[in-house]
Amino acid sequence: MKENQNSIQGEEQLVILELSREIYGVEISTVREIIRMQPITHVPKTPNFVEGVINLRGKIIPVIDLHKRFDLPVREDTQDSRIMVVEVDDITVGMVVDAVHEVLRIPRASIDPPPPMISGVDSTYLRGVGKLEDRLIILLNLNQVLHEKEKRVIEQMAAAE
Amino acid sequence: MTSNYDMSQYLSIFLDEVDEQIQIMDENILSLEKNRKDKSVLNSIFRAAHTIKGSSASMGYEKMAEVTHNLENVLDLLRQDKLTVSTEIIDLLLECLDIIKALKNDIINERDTDTDISVIAKMLKTVIEVQEDLPQTDVLQERSYSREKGYLEDKYTVEFNDIEENVIRTAEIKGYKVWQIIVSLVSDCLMKAARAYIVYNNLKDLGEIIKTIPSTEDLEGEKFDLEFQMFIVTKEDRDRIENIVKSISEIDKVVVRSVELNYEIENQEKSLELSINEAAFTKELGPLLKEDKSTPGQSESIKINQTVRVDVQRLENLMNLVGELVIDRIRLADIEASLGAKYGSEELLGGLEEISLHISRITGDLQEEIMKARMFPIEQVFNRFPRMVRDLASKAGKQIDFIIEGRETELDRTIIEEIGDPLIHLLRNAVDHGIEPPDERVMHGKPAKGTIKLRAYQQENQIVITIEDDGKGIDPNTLILKALEKGLISEEKSSRISQKEALNLIFISGFSTAEKVSTVSGRGVGMDIVKNHIERINGMVKIHSVPGKGTKFTIKLPLTLAINRSLLVKYGNEVFAFPLANIVEIVNIVSTEIKYVAKQEVVLVRGEILPLYYLEDLLELKYAKPKRDKFPVVVVGLSERQVGIVVDELIGEQEIVIKSLGDYIGKINGLAGATIMGNGTVALILDVRGIMEQVRMDD
Repeated sequence: MKENQNSIQGEEQLVILELSREIYGVEISTVREIIRMQPITHVPKTPNFVEGVINLRGKIIPVIDLHKRFDLPVREDTQDSRIMVVEVDDITVGMVVDAVHEVLRIPRASIDPPPPMISGVDSTYLRGVGKLEDRLIILLNLNQVLHEKEKRVIEQMAAAE
Repeated sequence: MTSNYDMSQYLSIFLDEVDEQIQIMDENILSLEKNRKDKSVLNSIFRAAHTIKGSSASMGYEKMAEVTHNLENVLDLLRQDKLTVSTEIIDLLLECLDIIKALKNDIINERDTDTDISVIAKMLKTVIEVQEDLPQTDVLQERSYSREKGYLEDKYTVEFNDIEENVIRTAEIKGYKVWQIIVSLVSDCLMKAARAYIVYNNLKDLGEIIKTIPSTEDLEGEKFDLEFQMFIVTKEDRDRIENIVKSISEIDKVVVRSVELNYEIENQEKSLELSINEAAFTKELGPLLKEDKSTPGQSESIKINQTVRVDVQRLENLMNLVGELVIDRIRLADIEASLGAKYGSEELLGGLEEISLHISRITGDLQEEIMKARMFPIEQVFNRFPRMVRDLASKAGKQIDFIIEGRETELDRTIIEEIGDPLIHLLRNAVDHGIEPPDERVMHGKPAKGTIKLRAYQQENQIVITIEDDGKGIDPNTLILKALEKGLISEEKSSRISQKEALNLIFISGFSTAEKVSTVSGRGVGMDIVKNHIERINGMVKIHSVPGKGTKFTIKLPLTLAINRSLLVKYGNEVFAFPLANIVEIVNIVSTEIKYVAKQEVVLVRGEILPLYYLEDLLELKYAKPKRDKFPVVVVGLSERQVGIVVDELIGEQEIVIKSLGDYIGKINGLAGATIMGNGTVALILDVRGIMEQVRMDD
């Protein structure tokens, strides 16, 4: 309900996360929960950005590393590293991020379409760039991030041969 | 929308019911063929036909109602001995059943007009008409009775109340007859009440008197004219009853009529009532029924099962929840153990231990009960086979005695659903390729009639199904030649193949030994499909055959697919689970024992060559092969072929809940899924079948 009001007011509510020192935003309605890093079981024969699987209260959840997904410099786990569990189109996936900061509201009007390339991330994965005061927030297009997997797998297989 | 939904609700109930009744008819028609005089069997078929008629009519499926109505008429003639059970009649009944099945499928597929019922309707009608024209003695006799009936008709038509009606129906089901005995006393009879009492007493010895007209009180009080009626449930025939009553003095006339309820007016509610009232009836007729139990083949025909239909999804959900409980149970035990190690014998720990034990016992029971709820007797699959084998045999001109054992063996419903097709293939093969034609059998000194035995039983955590025939068996050398001819194996391989391995050639795709392709066995796609099917549900199939003596297939299946006993092993930093069902044995190998055959590492285990594989190669793990001096090897096998998989360390055996890796990751070759360990971490479950396939391709 609240969200509806927000959209009526022309606002978006975002969870703000950090990835390779950049600030990203994910729509709050897709975020299920945020958990601390835990041992991840590696699953063989998966694309390199798939870290493996974890046990989330009795359910097996795949975990991907957004750094690898976006070809960003390899991360190192820190105290602040988190797994952000998101659900898009019935698929639940954990994403490893460097830190999760806060929940922000930004007015729709201040969101611009993404430039072709920003901080090394392909614009297909982006929904836009939001400006709040002096901060730039890169909005992730989770549909693309999660569902473009097949393409990646095919690319990888082609590269392997 | 709502009404549509409701209709589909009824539809599924209706279809379930029709299925059930078709099954009953199927079984009973076949047993009628063997035992043609058995009235109780006829009655069962009649009841089933009647139930289908009633429900299909109320659902508005007129074709089905019409066929079953005609069928019912034929069955009624059979029941009354106006028609005798002949092979033609059995064929007609079976054909009729096929039509009903086809009609049922039409309903499922929502096409109502496809199946033509005119032919069968005509055939059924012809049978009825032919019979009516025949001046059989039975019929004449019946007619003389009906003439008598004629004059009695109006006066003696009796209305039964519900309870009486039910008693009569149940009696009929149990194979008893209900007779109406109309007694007229001589006009100068002095002690009418006493005579009536004697009649009552003598009849009582024959069976159960369920009703008198007038009531017993009125009989005692002599409140009747010269006539009274008694209704008796008995197995005695008309003559016996008539003689007994006639032997009493001062009786003028006795008429004994059989009582049959008018089935036409019966509706579904009644038949439901019938089974409920069964219990009451059993009580009433206590002594009579005891005797009934000693009569074989009748008491088993009726079994009351109180059941509730549950959505399959609901059971799946329950199973998942229990799966999670099982995980927590193991975690609790782990925590308790580590607390015990840390704090020793603390009093509070004793309490925790007690609770933990109790919880593990309860979850164990709960798991077992829910597993049982998902279990079905394999009967559900087996029951359709006798008919199939009969038809196949008669088409192929072979005589076959088909024996089924262990129908009651229970299996998980997912496995039940999968096992039907492979079994059909194997049985078809047994009929078509296994059993020889009668003359050929006699020539080889065998009985003309072949035997196929289908058997199911539980062996520890597995279900074993065997299909055995005493046919011509399979000659391994013929298989080798055939395989060579078809280019399925190389010349070089054919020279060193063992007899046991040769038999397994039959499982290769594109292999058929039938000289001519028949309508029955198809074109040799059978056996590899059989094998695939069985392995897909974590089963194994083995073949054993002696030329001239027969062939035996042994299928081993897990009890359930959801929970699995596994061997946990450590490899690198990860834990992997091997399903126990696929493990043949575990051997310890010293690195000096390793030999090379064309670059492939092998070891000799009891004289047999065992190829060795490493998980890092099979699963493309990023794990540097350490130098191992001595290591355990898990020997896994599927249908005869065995390979050894090197592991670092054995952890132990554990019950694990299989979970899928999810849509995001999808199916990965070599992995069957994942499971959650006691400490909360995730371990991967190996898919031995996938690994074997990969190994085969690498060869």
